[in-house]
Amino acid sequence: MTTMRIPTDLPRRRGVGAKFGSLGKAVLITLLVVFAGFPVYWMLGTSLGTEASLYRDGQPLIPEFQNIGQWGGFLSEIPIFRWLGNSFVIAAGTTILSLVLATMAAYALSRYRFHGRGVAGFIFFSTQMLPEALIIVPLYAIFAGAGLLNSHWGLVLADTAFVMPVAMFIIKSGIDKIPFEIEEAARIDGCSRVRILTTIVLPLIMPSIAAAAVIAFFDGWNEFMFANTFISSSDLWPASVGLSSFLGQFYTPMNVVMFCALLFALPAIIFFLWAQRGIVSGLTAGSVKG
Amino acid sequence: MATSTLEAPRSTPRAAPPKRPRGSGAVGRFIERNGAYLFLFPAIVYLAIFTVFPLIRGLLLSFTATKLVNPAGGKPVGVENYEYLLSSDKFWTSVVTTLLYTLFTVIFSVGIGTAGALLLNTAFKGRGIIRAIATIPWAVPTVAAALIFVWIYNNEQGILNRTTSALGMGQHGWLVDPQYGLFAVTLATVWKLTPLVMLVMLSALQSVPQELREATWVDGATRFQSFLAVTLPHLMPTLRVITLLMTIWSIRRFEIIFLITGGGPLDVTNTLVVNVYRTAFQDQNLGRAAAIGALGLVLSLLVTVVYFIVEQIQERQESQR
Repeated sequence: MTTMRIPTDLPRRRGVGAKFGSLGKAVLITLLVVFAGFPVYWMLGTSLGTEASLYRDGQPLIPEFQNIGQWGGFLSEIPIFRWLGNSFVIAAGTTILSLVLATMAAYALSRYRFHGRGVAGFIFFSTQMLPEALIIVPLYAIFAGAGLLNSHWGLVLADTAFVMPVAMFIIKSGIDKIPFEIEEAARIDGCSRVRILTTIVLPLIMPSIAAAAVIAFFDGWNEFMFANTFISSSDLWPASVGLSSFLGQFYTPMNVVMFCALLFALPAIIFFLWAQRGIVSGLTAGSVKG
Repeated sequence: MATSTLEAPRSTPRAAPPKRPRGSGAVGRFIERNGAYLFLFPAIVYLAIFTVFPLIRGLLLSFTATKLVNPAGGKPVGVENYEYLLSSDKFWTSVVTTLLYTLFTVIFSVGIGTAGALLLNTAFKGRGIIRAIATIPWAVPTVAAALIFVWIYNNEQGILNRTTSALGMGQHGWLVDPQYGLFAVTLATVWKLTPLVMLVMLSALQSVPQELREATWVDGATRFQSFLAVTLPHLMPTLRVITLLMTIWSIRRFEIIFLITGGGPLDVTNTLVVNVYRTAFQDQNLGRAAAIGALGLVLSLLVTVVYFIVEQIQERQESQR
């Protein structure tokens, strides 16, 4: 269980750590923070800028917080909430569908020894190698025939195909860590496999499920290629496609676009910060053992 | 290693033969007996429909002259699409671009990510907040990231050009000058993906046995020596996996390049995947696009095979030590 140790912010050996080149370390940490944080800070600044400050004088280094009132006006220019709603539907659908499929498959691959187990594992892994671009052309043809173009359902189905295997590896590594004796005891008491999975295993692997859920949700929330190809009606666009439609168009001011980008990024960032610990342990378990 | 066999109660552990699985009635027994396949069935069928079948159809499509106006299928042309591609400069440029983009992205994101993780794993004030800031880019949606960078790279009002001209380095057409196209998309990608490497490496660092490191200090090793002797070997498996994943993901990455440069300027960022998309939906040539995709898959497979060979060799060396 040592691999489950969760990162804590407690400096365990401050004495030894503090001795180590503290000035150099401070510089490196500052560089890292600026590198990672600046573009997000800049996005916020752009959304608070006026057209004059963005296109004539250059964006000020300090965000113009006095302009926060203009945000309300931007909402009438771009149907961002409709797009965010579409993104949410797609992301939620992708999450639910991939979790159900992935959990069952993960349980089978973790707890059973059977013919074709290696092949099944390989199929899951090999989806990581597959470029979406190779699939998108035939998928477009299939969806056109099945009436799934211009539908959120089609996107949920396509997105799930790519994120479900990842979710499977994350959940499988969670199940691998549960001592098998717990299940054996339940089986001796006459529990069926389905009941063991739902009442014993599931509560124990909640951290892995949560990590897989976050990854799946992110994937559905961010996905662009399928959405851009399959959805032509702007009412049905997720935020990713809606926002991308402003690239290369000069008549939509950057402050409006960046405000919408901020609205698009913020839920993901908050969600990520809130669930970070779970993501990290789930992700590493999944990626390392996958 | 867990097994699916059931031990008889109160017998010697692990010695008992597998017992009949329990279940109530015929249906229950059927479920118990074929549990593995029943649990696996939905996911495998799903992948068969949405991954394997389209993959095969895509491969078949690559031997036809299918156009976007008639996606159901065009006339078969044998290996014509492949012949055309293998003798076209544009295709080979695309291969080289993909390899360069992958190489730079992996080197920088794995390098900075690992170094950052080592840095953030040491003790200092405000570590929690710093870690959160350093890993935020991973949570920023790709389209939002692309918009931010397009604005940063903007010719007249972009902060990058304002900085370079303030430093006396002049202004550059980051997105229109072929010299800088690859740099522009690589920087944005590294920004977006380094946090993922950092998160994974931070978590790997959590499981480095501290007792072992302290033992080397007692033996008089310097911090660097104990890093080489204990920490690095412990990180190697994770480092190898994340490098492989970053490599495969870079070969198939589409969004950030397509959105920032659209494959331009003058095709310098036209990676294989962007090339597939443009050939399919701009040139409307589905057959040829599928052929590019198939060759891209071959590239991914080659990289993976090389990775596994290298890993085998390394593991053999490690076990011989």
